[in-house]
Amino acid sequence: MMFLRQLRGELRKLFARPRTYMGYGAFVAMELIILIVYKTTNGSYYMRQLIERNGYNFDYFFSSLTLTFMVMIFSMVLLGSIFFALVAGDVVAKENEDGNLRLVLARPISRLRLLLLKYVSVAIYTFTFVFFVGVTGYGMATVAVGWDGGLFVAEPKMKVFAVYETWSTGIQRLGLGAAGIAVSMITISSLAFMFSCFRIKPAAATIITLAILFVDMILQNFPFFRPYEDWFITWRMSCWVYLMEFEISWPKITEAYAFLGGLNFTFFVIGFLAFQMRDFKT
Amino acid sequence: MLELDSLRKSFGRKPALEALSFHVGEGEIYGLLGHNGAGKSTTLGIILGMVEPDEGEARIDGISVQRKRAAALRQVGSIFESPCFYEYLSGWENLRILSSYSAPFDRAATEEVVERVGLGDRIGSKVRTYSHGMRQRLALAQALLPMPRVLLLDEPTDGLDPEGIKWFRDFILKLREERGMTVLFNSHLLAEVEQMCDRVAILKQGRQVYEGRVSELADDDRIYEIDCDPWDKAAHFLELQGCRILQPGRVTMPPELDPPLMVAALVGLEIRVSSFAPVKRSLEDLYLEITR
Repeated sequence: MMFLRQLRGELRKLFARPRTYMGYGAFVAMELIILIVYKTTNGSYYMRQLIERNGYNFDYFFSSLTLTFMVMIFSMVLLGSIFFALVAGDVVAKENEDGNLRLVLARPISRLRLLLLKYVSVAIYTFTFVFFVGVTGYGMATVAVGWDGGLFVAEPKMKVFAVYETWSTGIQRLGLGAAGIAVSMITISSLAFMFSCFRIKPAAATIITLAILFVDMILQNFPFFRPYEDWFITWRMSCWVYLMEFEISWPKITEAYAFLGGLNFTFFVIGFLAFQMRDFKT
Repeated sequence: MLELDSLRKSFGRKPALEALSFHVGEGEIYGLLGHNGAGKSTTLGIILGMVEPDEGEARIDGISVQRKRAAALRQVGSIFESPCFYEYLSGWENLRILSSYSAPFDRAATEEVVERVGLGDRIGSKVRTYSHGMRQRLALAQALLPMPRVLLLDEPTDGLDPEGIKWFRDFILKLREERGMTVLFNSHLLAEVEQMCDRVAILKQGRQVYEGRVSELADDDRIYEIDCDPWDKAAHFLELQGCRILQPGRVTMPPELDPPLMVAALVGLEIRVSSFAPVKRSLEDLYLEITR
């Protein structure tokens, strides 16, 4: 109970900060741009070709669900990662920089518990953010193309292709996919969180995280690294898309999330050790 | 109630504390003095478990902070110089969040403390709108939630106006009177320390160079105020006799020297002595004497 009460306080702190909402605002703006471009140009041309070439009805499958899936798959790793790194990179380092941490550390709370509280609050932020993008994306897509229709999934890089004929099966699978994205994205948050525990500026924690992430992504896409792609963080993070397969391959999913879970745990432990060894002057 | 046992701490090669030990009894107000960098904040950091000592330990009510930090700190409230709250939250939310790290939130107790520190009408406002004095009152409120037995105050009156300083002093003295609270008070304002503290310790470069009761300061009458001409010649003579020049016209005289004989000697050197009188030594005199 005490942990939950303290977690409530952590969440209040996190969600009361104006910068926490920068990501929400950016995504709503981006979704709006996609919607406007779709409405004012021939933006659906590529999708029409893709859907019709596979023998499906474009008007039915170019739906709010399909648009939401596209928004999430294209935007989350690139744009989402910036905000996850920003928020998680701030969570300890910013409090230290602002001096708030002194007031907290003067209380009878262990550093492990404090970091656990902060880590869980960052994980909750990550989840809520992904679902916010999904819900607002769906809302805007509904305005553009109506609420119903099936879900058309095509992700050539991960070799995933699936079609959900009914709206209800499509929304369920999209929800599962969103949960998968959120779990994947926690790895970015964990990496930024680890750096946030070091004696560095919050901006440095964010920048180092993004640098690692983008280097990982670039290397992963180099042709001669292809045989080793499953060693890359960003490749493992992309495995959420397997949840969109009609027949879910649980061994692949389990392997990917076990890899990411191990990384998250390692990042947390390193961050904790760095934090535990630090002296905080009053 | 509060014991420091042979604390040593270095930052890199620079020693910050060297074998610091003292004991603060229950209900006592103990002042910790020293220049910037003397080790006062490091001492407080060690007592709060925020700084790990290289050697020694701090105990609160017999519980080692280094071994059982959470249990030891359950009885401690603290205020830092320029307390940094969550500016974007209200005073009430700050209290709620900070006190939740110690114990379940107690609305009635919080309301009582808020009223006592005089923040009743502004507690719902964002902290960013608070004046420095209001922040210090909020700092005091958070330190008192839940009601501790030991209060650690690090420069709590820094930046307050004289009215604020008096209010703060009276508040702490009343708390001690009502609850027998033990207070460790770290301040640059020597007059404040003198008025509030029962005992003081002076730190210099990480070493404790003085410890004593404030009431005993007045009994030590080795400081003399001398009005004489020429002063330079008198000062030279007095230094040769073992006196320490505190400032022009003010010296500390070793106990073995006899003041009337010194006056006679000065007159014999053709120095015109208008007055030669002992002065009551203030904490400031003592502090300057020791730390110079």
